[in-house]
Amino acid sequence: MNIFFRGDVVVVAEGAMVVQAFPVIGGKIPESVVEKVQQVNGVKTAVPMLVTFSYRVEAVIQLVPSNVSIGIPSGNWSVLVGHTPLEPGGNWPSADPDKKEVVVGPSLAGQYDLAVGSEVKVENTNFTVAGILDSRSALLSRSIILPLELARQLYNSSPGESWMGNMVVVELEEEGTEKEVADRIETEILGVEALTTDERNEIIEPLLNDIETWNLGLSSALYLLSMILVTMVAMMNVSERRRDFATLDAIGAPKGSIFRMVITESTLIGLIGGLAGIVLGSIAAILIASIYSNIPLSMFLLYLFNIVSPLLLVKILASTVAVSCIAGVIPAIAASRMNIQEVLRSDY
Amino acid sequence: MIVKTQELTRTYRLGASVIMAVNKVNLEINDVTFVSIVGPSGSGKTTLLNLIGLNDRPTSGKVFFKNQDTALLTDKERRKIRLQNIGFVFQTFNLLPTLTALENVELPLALAKIPPKLQREKAVQLLEAVGLTDRLQHRPKELSTGEMQRVAIARALVNNPCLILADEPTGELDSETGFEIIKLLLDLCRKHKTTVVVATHDEKVAKASDVKYSIRDGVITRDGG
Repeated sequence: MNIFFRGDVVVVAEGAMVVQAFPVIGGKIPESVVEKVQQVNGVKTAVPMLVTFSYRVEAVIQLVPSNVSIGIPSGNWSVLVGHTPLEPGGNWPSADPDKKEVVVGPSLAGQYDLAVGSEVKVENTNFTVAGILDSRSALLSRSIILPLELARQLYNSSPGESWMGNMVVVELEEEGTEKEVADRIETEILGVEALTTDERNEIIEPLLNDIETWNLGLSSALYLLSMILVTMVAMMNVSERRRDFATLDAIGAPKGSIFRMVITESTLIGLIGGLAGIVLGSIAAILIASIYSNIPLSMFLLYLFNIVSPLLLVKILASTVAVSCIAGVIPAIAASRMNIQEVLRSDY
Repeated sequence: MIVKTQELTRTYRLGASVIMAVNKVNLEINDVTFVSIVGPSGSGKTTLLNLIGLNDRPTSGKVFFKNQDTALLTDKERRKIRLQNIGFVFQTFNLLPTLTALENVELPLALAKIPPKLQREKAVQLLEAVGLTDRLQHRPKELSTGEMQRVAIARALVNNPCLILADEPTGELDSETGFEIIKLLLDLCRKHKTTVVVATHDEKVAKASDVKYSIRDGVITRDGG
């Protein structure tokens, strides 16, 4: 089952670059292909879509920046949004292209202060907001959903033109026949690729693996670096306070107390550093993402814990504290094994 | 008798040469006496105090603490004796700069795992005794040198030790304050029935003592007997 829409197989033009479920770069799907897909044995419905991504959106949609605009044949909204409702007072766009109605995601609506009935200008064309999606999905909250005909007009395709979109979402008659039906579509229809969920995941899997490897390497290097830094800071700290540790030793402090004291201090360094790192890192990340995507900071702040899970933050903090604790061992040993009489004599 | 040394010797290696810091010292320190060890800088006073205070181990010879041969003690046992039986007063006070006067005095009690409420009561009581009632929450850098030494004396006494070792306790103080500190130390130690060993080069301090030793080049002699 796909997490983005109700459908099991996605048909795209041959050579299209598909990320997860959507063609990021890819050719057009002619109307005849949609009809042929519909006739393939095992296909229940074939719904064409026109999906346009824009990360730096001004280049595509001039007034309303969004991450994605999605054209779907009227009445097939649920294929994309499932059971996601509209906010109260809203309606799905009219099938009449002349009414020029769209539904927008809540993030876009919040950013541009849009309500039902608001006017928005997309690609020099005025549209009316018919409804606002009540969704927390990252994709849907940044989407403009409009009738396929309108989307085609918007992207310079006249109603008479033969292409329908850049992808077809296929629902199957029978569960578990994904692979068979996809093979059948590719065999029977030339110039298309039919991708099952597994195949789509396989496309990005090497990329994700590469990212994961880099991530692991980078984070290991950073942990090592932070361990060295904490050790150095703690060593400097111990060195500056030699007389204090010697005094503690002289008055009979158990070695374990001195050891624990230094370990506690280095752990605190890690805790404070980790917290500061998380806060500064989060600020830097959302700042960069905001500049890159043209989405206001407030939007990222609102959905911060949807983007970065609290569990991940806890894991990062715990590992930083653990690393600092380990980094404190050498300075702690140095402090607890200090030669008292040498340190105290050097005072005079 | 609290401390007895037998042929106590401590040498240091300095490059190719060997420095004899303490040379075959034999001394006996009895209960509730005020002992002074007088000698110039580098004569071995601090080394001798470190050996008596179990902060250092001799090259040869023995230190007996309450008739117990300290050479047979483990590091942990020596620390325990230092914590429970010996108080130290240093020339440069050695107060922990991040702690208040009160916390500095509480420290030995905390290390001895005395309940916090009792720690506070005892520390306040001693700081009152050294005349620092209004300085409890001050950090060392907010105190005068005389006040810092008073805090150090309170810290040395807080665990009710039987022996106080003071290494040049008036070294950083002017003569008037120094005299006050010695008087305070003596009064408190007599009140607490504590033995005091002071290393000093100040003859005025030495004159106030019950027993006076002189030390030169690590060799100790008892004055007046």
